[in-house]
Amino acid sequence: MRLRAEYSVGSDLRFLSNLDMMNLMARALRRARIPFALSEGFNPHIRLSMGTVLPVGLWGKREYFDLELEREMSINEFVDNMNQSLPPAMRINACLEIGIKTPALMNSINCACYSFVINDRTEQLELWKARTLQQEELMVKSRGKKKNLDKNLRPGILKIEVNRLQDFAIIDIWGTIGEPLNVRYDELRDLLLQTGIDKETVGDIYRSGNYIRERDKYYTPLEKVK
Amino acid sequence: MKDKLFRDILPQVSKPARYTGGEVNVIQKDWEQAEAKMVFAFPDVYEVGMSHIGGKILYGLVNEKSNHLMERSFAPWPDMEEVMRREHIPLYALESFRPLGDFDVIGFSLQYELSITNILNMLDLSGIPLWSQDREEGCPLVIAGGPAVFNPEPFAEFFDAFLIGDGEEVTLEFLDCVDKNRDMVRDELLKQLARIEGVYIPALYRVEYKDDGTIKRMAPLVKEAPAQVRRRVIEDLDKAYYPDKPVLPYMDIVHDRAVLEVMRGCQRSCRFCHAGMVYRPVRERSVATLKKQAAAQLASTGYEEISLASLSTLDYSGVSPLVKDLVKEYGPRGTGVSLPSLRVDAFSIDLANEVQKVRKTTLTLAPEAGTQRMRDVINKNVTDEQLFNAVEAAFKSGWNSLKLYFMIGLPDETEADLDGIIELCRKVKAIGDRYSRRPVEIRASLASFVPKGHTPFQWRSQNSIAELDNKRRYMMREKRKNIKLSFHDSETSYLEGIIARGDRRLAAAIHKAWQKGCKFDGWSEYFHFDRWMEALQEENIDPGFYNLRRRDYAEVLPWDFIETGIEREYLIEEDEKAGQGISTPDCRREGCRDCGVCMNLGVDLQIKEGRADAVES
Repeated sequence: MRLRAEYSVGSDLRFLSNLDMMNLMARALRRARIPFALSEGFNPHIRLSMGTVLPVGLWGKREYFDLELEREMSINEFVDNMNQSLPPAMRINACLEIGIKTPALMNSINCACYSFVINDRTEQLELWKARTLQQEELMVKSRGKKKNLDKNLRPGILKIEVNRLQDFAIIDIWGTIGEPLNVRYDELRDLLLQTGIDKETVGDIYRSGNYIRERDKYYTPLEKVK
Repeated sequence: MKDKLFRDILPQVSKPARYTGGEVNVIQKDWEQAEAKMVFAFPDVYEVGMSHIGGKILYGLVNEKSNHLMERSFAPWPDMEEVMRREHIPLYALESFRPLGDFDVIGFSLQYELSITNILNMLDLSGIPLWSQDREEGCPLVIAGGPAVFNPEPFAEFFDAFLIGDGEEVTLEFLDCVDKNRDMVRDELLKQLARIEGVYIPALYRVEYKDDGTIKRMAPLVKEAPAQVRRRVIEDLDKAYYPDKPVLPYMDIVHDRAVLEVMRGCQRSCRFCHAGMVYRPVRERSVATLKKQAAAQLASTGYEEISLASLSTLDYSGVSPLVKDLVKEYGPRGTGVSLPSLRVDAFSIDLANEVQKVRKTTLTLAPEAGTQRMRDVINKNVTDEQLFNAVEAAFKSGWNSLKLYFMIGLPDETEADLDGIIELCRKVKAIGDRYSRRPVEIRASLASFVPKGHTPFQWRSQNSIAELDNKRRYMMREKRKNIKLSFHDSETSYLEGIIARGDRRLAAAIHKAWQKGCKFDGWSEYFHFDRWMEALQEENIDPGFYNLRRRDYAEVLPWDFIETGIEREYLIEEDEKAGQGISTPDCRREGCRDCGVCMNLGVDLQIKEGRADAVES
């Protein structure tokens, strides 16, 4: 049996690395006595594959993993048992059984949405969005391993939404992941600051979702399991 | 505090998960409801401190078995320290994020002499006076325990109290006393604490020196302080507390696995070994207890590995059935068993094969010396034949690289002993080459011997840096293919030697070294030998007095007032036998050797699972 789960990573766990997150999940599976399948070979490991890496420093609303079980188990039982053994800052939101042939998360997730909480809810933000999307080039200095190169984010920015709420606004930016252009959240933050958003107004940043984009449609990994 | 940390501070530092707390199985007690409030402070980074079993035991014991509270704090890495100092953030405990100054007791774990500068740094980051005499009413009691406090004297003036011996025996009693007498003035409280066996209050003693710099006498100033401070000992490990739900770190730590302490103590009597002397006698846990503890720990942590810890796990009488049962029970779900150290014999290799049905990487054995003569001097009762049998068994069953531990700078060492190390490596390699298709690689790690108090070598002189460096050059004079020698830093060993057998007069130099920026001295990238030497010089301290000088048996040694249970006559006899190259057998094999521990401390050797496996090599 193979299943795919959607989970959230709370703010308290935002400093964990990808390896930490994998260990955390594997140990939660063991504590919850989930009948996970083990790989063959001399150094058996749990057949667990995590979706895209949640960057250190961010919390995540909707993250994903796939897991193989060695026998059938009810989905509800799986979710209940896991939620009892996960740290309080982490929750499985939803889970469903998927076919053996469903493409792996790593190979299918191709875009992610990063959310920036802005302590400003004036119309300026709408203007900023319009102005930004009009640009043909949005140059930043690259972050990560290949640092400080000129990088044009524009082709990787798929969609921007501005939600003005009671006391603050949230800017959601959908960016491409992986090849050919990987848009990082810290590069997006640099872009915001470079294009007129005041540093003092930028609050929390989190990843609100991972998607499988087909032309102009965005599917969550739970919607796209065939 | 927590908000500011998560928002402004932690994004700026490396490995922020060191500083967030909130791990699985963490215990956060209600501050107002708790009686005495103690923070367990480990003077190294999180991933080192969280690997330490003693801390896990005390944390569980205090929080689960009493109304007192214990939280944790670790030394911040220098990048975090810089941000904390800049932003005026005091060192805090990971459970409540309260500054250390809010606690009644700050308990440091002194695992290693050179961690003292980190302790001073942590106190400074907490805004707590570094010198015991400067701490006023209302200031936390600063205490320490662990192996390095068997000679507490170099640290005496920084601490209000030391707990000597097995911590789970004395900590609750100490905290009860602190809580019960919390309205007492500090000086009176210290006197009350001095009455607890195993508690040493340095301020209650006076040390007088002779003209030659040696100690004339050390005497208590008040009636509450005992002339001899006797170490505390757990009698029966099966009845002692052990945590079923250890805190499970989020980040990768040094020893990231479930740990079973199969026994405490070791009776092999290696004459250089501090732990082997101060943790006597051997007290084993039963296999039944250990299996229960394994089940509980795995259920609460989800760890994929169980480690069997002790000073010499292969000497545990139940090691065979325990390993087999654990592998059978947990192996099918991918949970493995690991042995931290192997004894030099074929039995050990067979057992290692049992647990390492998986990848065969590097095997480590510790013959400690290269010639039989030297092994007799240090009483490492291993023969060449045993070593070669072990090595043959290892290579036969598929290991292809081997690490050997040796010491140099041992008492009465000659060139022949150094040649012996190389020769041994060569013979081991020849055995390996017979069984392996590719040439095997032998890596020898050469530590420098540091004489420690309470051992038969406590009167001996340590090699100087020049002597050690000459020996290194001598051994490296020709290159040998696939035999790699790596030497411990001789300057670090030299400093360790000064502090290990130091007295109260060293405190000023330690303080000065810290002022000069010394910290994380155990980490080579932060070790500044020159600053230490400057500090010693400025305080007019001759380092050779402490580490190079051969002491007389009649001399009063700074640590003599700490009673480990071992008779001085036994140590002298062992030192004399070393001089004659006569070995002393294992007391559980050949009967009592009159070291004095069992009689003096009213305890007994506890062998729980018969003798067969443990004895036969």
